[in-house]
Amino acid sequence: MEEKITTRRKVLIGMTSAVGAVGASFAVIPFVASWNPSAKAKAVGGPVKVDVSKMQVGQKIQVSWRKQPVFVIRHSKEALENLPEVESKLDDPSSLKIDEPYRDLNPTRSLSTEYTVIAGVCTHLGCAPKYYPEMESQPWDESWVGGFFCPCHGSMFDIVGRVFKGVPAPTNLKVPPHYFDGSILTIGEERGSA
Amino acid sequence: MKKFLLLALLCIGSQEALAAGGAACGDYGECDSFNPELNNLESLQLGALTFINHCYGCHSLKYSRWGRIAQDLDIPEDIFTDNLVFGAKVKLGDRMTGSMKPEVSETWFGIAPPDLTLVTRLHGSDWVYTYLRTFYEDSSKPYGVNNMVYPGAAMPNVLASMQGQQILTCKDVPIIASNGGVRRDEMGNDITEEKCGYLKTIEGSGDLSVQEFDEVIFNLVNFMTYVGEPSRSDRERMGWYAVLFFIVFTALAYLLFREYQKDYH
Amino acid sequence: MTQQSSGFFNWINSRLPIVNTFERHLSKHPVPKKVNFWYMFGALASVVLIIQIVSGIWLMFGYENTEEGAFASIEYIMRDIEYGWVIRYMHTTGASMFFAVVYLHMFRGLLYGSYHKPRELVWVFGMTIYLVMMAEGFLGYVLPYGQMSYWGAQVIISLFGAIPYIGESLEIWVRGDYYISGATISRFFALHVVALPLILIALVFMHLVALHEVGAGNPEGVDIEKHLDEDGVPLDSVPFFPYKVLNALVAIGIFGIVFSIIMFFFPEGGGYMLELANFEEANPLSTPEHIAPVWYYSPYYAMLRAVPDKLGGLVVMGAAIAILFVVPWLDRSKAASIRYKGILSKIAMTIFIISWLMLAWLGTVPVTALRTTLSIIGTVIYFAFFLLMPIYTSIEKTKPVPERL
Repeated sequence: MEEKITTRRKVLIGMTSAVGAVGASFAVIPFVASWNPSAKAKAVGGPVKVDVSKMQVGQKIQVSWRKQPVFVIRHSKEALENLPEVESKLDDPSSLKIDEPYRDLNPTRSLSTEYTVIAGVCTHLGCAPKYYPEMESQPWDESWVGGFFCPCHGSMFDIVGRVFKGVPAPTNLKVPPHYFDGSILTIGEERGSA
Repeated sequence: MKKFLLLALLCIGSQEALAAGGAACGDYGECDSFNPELNNLESLQLGALTFINHCYGCHSLKYSRWGRIAQDLDIPEDIFTDNLVFGAKVKLGDRMTGSMKPEVSETWFGIAPPDLTLVTRLHGSDWVYTYLRTFYEDSSKPYGVNNMVYPGAAMPNVLASMQGQQILTCKDVPIIASNGGVRRDEMGNDITEEKCGYLKTIEGSGDLSVQEFDEVIFNLVNFMTYVGEPSRSDRERMGWYAVLFFIVFTALAYLLFREYQKDYH
Repeated sequence: MTQQSSGFFNWINSRLPIVNTFERHLSKHPVPKKVNFWYMFGALASVVLIIQIVSGIWLMFGYENTEEGAFASIEYIMRDIEYGWVIRYMHTTGASMFFAVVYLHMFRGLLYGSYHKPRELVWVFGMTIYLVMMAEGFLGYVLPYGQMSYWGAQVIISLFGAIPYIGESLEIWVRGDYYISGATISRFFALHVVALPLILIALVFMHLVALHEVGAGNPEGVDIEKHLDEDGVPLDSVPFFPYKVLNALVAIGIFGIVFSIIMFFFPEGGGYMLELANFEEANPLSTPEHIAPVWYYSPYYAMLRAVPDKLGGLVVMGAAIAILFVVPWLDRSKAASIRYKGILSKIAMTIFIISWLMLAWLGTVPVTALRTTLSIIGTVIYFAFFLLMPIYTSIEKTKPVPERL
């Protein structure tokens, strides 16, 4: 008994394997998709609302969205006016390297002229940067002009979360989707979308 | 031998089925059959509305989420939030945990009203459909009503204003002879006897006709069937593809098998 | 394949016998060339085993092994996890199909005498697999913590109470509580997902190694090892690859059709696979009106109920399983296959099948006096089939078994 490979066999093998492969790839879908956030996770990770009218100028608060820190900072006029001065130190002042949702709208990078809304997750390895607003010499930078410093690996960002040159973090801190209804800030969705 | 045994078994089986007694829908007998229409979005939407307005006050759907219903039933979210969602602080991702505290309801009804997410799977949609239509007036009960499917149900007939008054009546029915025909007297007239336990709706006592009311209940139970297993219509749709795939695969594998069988046959 | 294989394979193979093992047990493994569909269920059983392991792992991602959370976590899997219902129904359908396939596989063994010398150990390992599967199925059924989970487990664990002297304390020890609680669930969970599957896989491995040592049987009961070619390969055999693989592919295709129809259109199996009472969370204070086991335990449950004595019922049920282990030594027939056995064996087999099916039905319906009588008759026939086997297989006249397949 000898196994012969005829054309008919080749065609049938090809077709059976192709159909089998298609079936297998469809069968994999449920197993892959079930690792996505569940409806429960999505519900818990829904948008959060915060009243920012009580914040003082220069103050930073931390809001938890999807169990991740989101920083909201109320800037003074002077601080915002001084922003162009640090640009020479920045790696990507106009956030061209990332998908910036509200580019070129406000110097705050947000939808507000006064408040910055940024994810408090360092783009290096995910630590939460700390806020040092004072313009004073710091151990990591003698000419510190105020901003965020990540204690894990020393990445530095300015007060609106733009990354400095020569630090481990590759990109600016992300701006989460948000909108303002008067003084009510909603983090986690765009206006009108739900 | 085999045939004889099978026959004997069948006889026993059929007799047993009769003897086992206890019809599925209690005093009502066999349940009215219910065929869900899970792709009929209008029916599901109307059913959801009825549920929220008339049932959700006491019964939760705690395994289900508001947003999922809006999505599956194709209800725009603003309309859904304004008209259906119960309570101002509810978010669409929340579970439908009910609007009543269990302690309160326990003092009202004696027992906490059960969660109804899975009721159509537990009892079957037929049962729920029949149950909701077989309340009748019974002044001996605390709520003035009793139920044929589930006698002594600790639940008022919340839809009474739509259905109107339903009562138990008696009527003359022909006696069925053992040969299956109607028994007759010497004169050739049907012999009848009075039997009781028939439901009758008093005409004009409710807002809806019997037919309209049945439709309301149909939509309601249709919705409850959906909530019992929201993925059911997806499941049945995907099933066809899976079966079709295996048929094609089997056919090809069989051809290949036959081809290779030539080597040793 | 070995001749053409590269240096890398040679390097590996001289350290780890991958190629040799692959050829010996898979690609070149000789299989009888003429078998019928009854010989496909072993392959299908291993397919279902894989389905169960994979879907089971995925279920664990959403399942919560606590008293408060177990029931809700099943609905969480069914609703909130994307395609969670596919995975759950795959597992529940798989459980029933596992038993269906294994019962057919076992029946094949009885029909064609697959336990005959020299395949006694293959049979014994197979029976051990069946025993572990029963435990595995029971433990898994408790995990959703629905009404039927609870009361089914209550009944089964109470069986331990029938054991004299230590019964009652054994019951409490098994539960780890005074009722079936979170403590019971978490230990059942660990056993169901780790301990028993490990044992099961080890046993399947032994079953296959023992089988490959003696070679697969055939419906004629012919010993194909008697006629070998110059290479020592049985003349009536074909290599596993590609011939038997194609055979298995067809079987898998047909099995896939059946599996999909059940899984996508009848996942509850009419209440025999997913019992309707299990759509209600466990309530230790209220017993459902009718407790029935899932269909695959029902013949043995019927036997348990047939005996009007707690310990007696347990002993009979245990004996019904135990007696299967010794079948290779009960069958004295010269012919392995029913095709060449005498008329007595054929009659016995027919009555046995009917009574087994009757017991399976009786186990799922509520008790009546008549049914109890039928259960007793069924139980007696079940045991008579095995206990009388040494007699009827040795006195009957068998037909001569052919030399070649």
